[in-house]
Amino acid sequence: MKEKICIYIMFSVAVTFLILVAPVQARIKLVALPERATTIIRLDNPQATMIEEERVLTLQKDLNKVDFSWKGVSIDEDSIRLTVLTQQDKVTLLGVSYPPNEAALVWAIHSKDAFEVTVRISYLLSNIDRLITYKCVANKEETRINLKSFLVLRNFSGEDFENASVLLDDGQCFEQSISHEETKQLLFLNKKGVPIEKRWTFDARKLPWDPEKLETNVGIPVSYRIKNVENAGIGTFVLLDGKVRVFQEDGYKSTIFLGEDYTKLVPVGENMEIYIGDSRDIVVTQRKMQDERINVRRNRKNRIILYDTDELIKTTIENFKDKPAMLTVIQHIPGQWDMEECNMEYKRTDAYTLEFEIALLPHSKKKVTMHYHRRNVR
Amino acid sequence: MRHKLIFFTMIAVLLGHTFAMAKVDLVILPKRDTAQLTIYNSADLTLVREKRSLTLKKGLNRLQFSWANTLIDPTSLDMLPRMHGDKIDILDLAFPPRVRNLGLWHVQSQISGNVPVEITYLTSGLSWRAFYMGTLSKDEKTMRLKGYVRVTNRSGENYENAQVRLIVGKINLIDQIADLARRQYPYGRPVPPPKIPRPEVSDRIAGMAEAKVRFMEAEKVMMAKPKEIRKEGLSEYFLYTIEGTETIPHGWSKRLPSFTADEIPVVNLYKYEKERFGDQVLRFLSFSNDKDHHLGDTPIPGGIMKVYRNVGETAQLSYEGQSRFKYIPVDEDVELNLGSVANVIVKPRLMNYKTDRYLFDNKGNISGWDEICEFEIEVKNTREIPIKAEVRRNFKTSYWEIKKTGEFGDYEKVDLDTVKFTLSLNAHETKTFRYILTTHHGRRAN
Repeated sequence: MKEKICIYIMFSVAVTFLILVAPVQARIKLVALPERATTIIRLDNPQATMIEEERVLTLQKDLNKVDFSWKGVSIDEDSIRLTVLTQQDKVTLLGVSYPPNEAALVWAIHSKDAFEVTVRISYLLSNIDRLITYKCVANKEETRINLKSFLVLRNFSGEDFENASVLLDDGQCFEQSISHEETKQLLFLNKKGVPIEKRWTFDARKLPWDPEKLETNVGIPVSYRIKNVENAGIGTFVLLDGKVRVFQEDGYKSTIFLGEDYTKLVPVGENMEIYIGDSRDIVVTQRKMQDERINVRRNRKNRIILYDTDELIKTTIENFKDKPAMLTVIQHIPGQWDMEECNMEYKRTDAYTLEFEIALLPHSKKKVTMHYHRRNVR
Repeated sequence: MRHKLIFFTMIAVLLGHTFAMAKVDLVILPKRDTAQLTIYNSADLTLVREKRSLTLKKGLNRLQFSWANTLIDPTSLDMLPRMHGDKIDILDLAFPPRVRNLGLWHVQSQISGNVPVEITYLTSGLSWRAFYMGTLSKDEKTMRLKGYVRVTNRSGENYENAQVRLIVGKINLIDQIADLARRQYPYGRPVPPPKIPRPEVSDRIAGMAEAKVRFMEAEKVMMAKPKEIRKEGLSEYFLYTIEGTETIPHGWSKRLPSFTADEIPVVNLYKYEKERFGDQVLRFLSFSNDKDHHLGDTPIPGGIMKVYRNVGETAQLSYEGQSRFKYIPVDEDVELNLGSVANVIVKPRLMNYKTDRYLFDNKGNISGWDEICEFEIEVKNTREIPIKAEVRRNFKTSYWEIKKTGEFGDYEKVDLDTVKFTLSLNAHETKTFRYILTTHHGRRAN
């Protein structure tokens, strides 16, 4: 069995002794080992976890050397700060020095008198962080979800924390003990009946055009859209990034698992898009029926220098479901182009992208025909 | 070694004036009352839902759940009280340090007594697949189709009398459940963890023998008639619920009938497309998943179908071949590829070739021309039964014109450089047609 590494942060105050006989090189440690008063684990920055601890130091008059050393933990040396909270006008921090080959630093503090002061020590501690996970349960109609969010505290820092205050992004604070190598999962958000929008998307650049030629089904990606707005019951805070697992009620007091995705951080007012899985009951077959060069222009050497194209794309969309669906079809036409004829309305989302919103009835078929010209192709 | 999920309750005991968390081992070891397995086929994933009855004390309760030698994803563990939900507060789920495969729930209860709870988690190791047997009538006009599902348990856990549900559908997964189950720490650690050897879920001979006994006992109480399978659509998936319960010990598989459809009208379709299949004819059996074909209640999950044919009077069978097919939605057409055949022959022959209409540039070089190819296609059915044949031709250019003569059947332009001829042939019939293809090149194409 792996022996538990003895890990602790040592903290001691040493008063400099003037030894008259000979100068002493070795530092003298351990005059007093002050206990931690309170500890705060700040998890508001996902990149780094800051620990803030308060301790009471017993200072002597004049120069004090406060020794802060650690073992078995990884502290960013440059992040260590000391803030004097009491008797500030009588205490001056003179300097910080780092002893050679040691995980330690020494503060030189001048005190006008002998008394106790409360100080706060802040530092960035590695290998302790938090994750966010979500669990959504959609109703059978897929119109609303119950949204739960969990905070997962992972402590592999080497340090045990007893009754520490854990501080989250939104200022929420709770007390928690967590040992080294312990993981804790806590519920911190539980909203019922959050409205969702179900969406199907066919992107002609990402998906194969002719499913008939493939050995496997082409799935049309299906996603849930959750608006982080107040009338959705949320919308007062940022939804943090994390893994989302989606379930659905099956009508028999049970659920099925629909799929999972990773959501980016969702600011207030923005949408969370969760890609849950693929629909194989909507089949899109797209074929290019015509692609010819027209208006060909040549140079004196008879080389083609400029031409237009005459292109025709036919898209057949079949809904084999017994429910209606709203399918977004995304088409891409590069370069300069104009549409000669299109039998459906579309929105130009940028110069080269067209978006069709196609309402499909149950067991129905629709055809989209795009007849366009790319202009001045070199 | 027993591979059971162990679940017990520890009660916080008040000792004198001080709080002490006395670990009273196995105070209550609640049995799994019921279990439901929802098994997916597109991913190695099963949603397990168990109902257990806990005896809670007022105050803080600690519930320990361990799952050694299974493939449970600890990050999916969830517990919900089925009664007194407002009086029971699940504070947290902790994965204590230096212990593997163990979770500890802290539950604050305002009541004491029995509380039914539901525990759900995802596990790897259970799987199912669909397979089919098709039997053609002697004249090959109809087919009897039998569908089966085969459920296999290699999860490390014996599930007794569990309700089995199967999901047809393609879900999005970020992490493989088996990988999550094998992690040293449930949520990993902030830095990449050191690689540890994978614990194997072995077949364990002793355990298998014990499982066999249990399996046989469960078989005895099985109903005499085949089980019904309830089928329904949910979101983008299909849920098959098998009637009653099943006992599937670790290491075992079970075959269950899924559906039977008789006299499905089928078409023998023979396809020739040199660019896709080479210089050979492939046999397809086509039908539709709809009411006209005595199907169409539900989609048909993808799988392998073995096709047989009734021959002779004594219901002897001949094996025609097998085909792997993809998921078939309701109302969609199916084409089962039974492989290449020699009894239907398609012979394309180039009968005439010429070039014409040359263009020259200023230097006198060729800058454009046409190519004229005349093909003869002979389609020969040497079989005793009528068939349908589909011949596709690809032209490798979008600048072309075509003139057709003879018995070319139905003609269709498939896409910019592909056309399709569909012919019906009687038994021992040969049909021949011709087409003249003119392709434009160089400046003739522009």
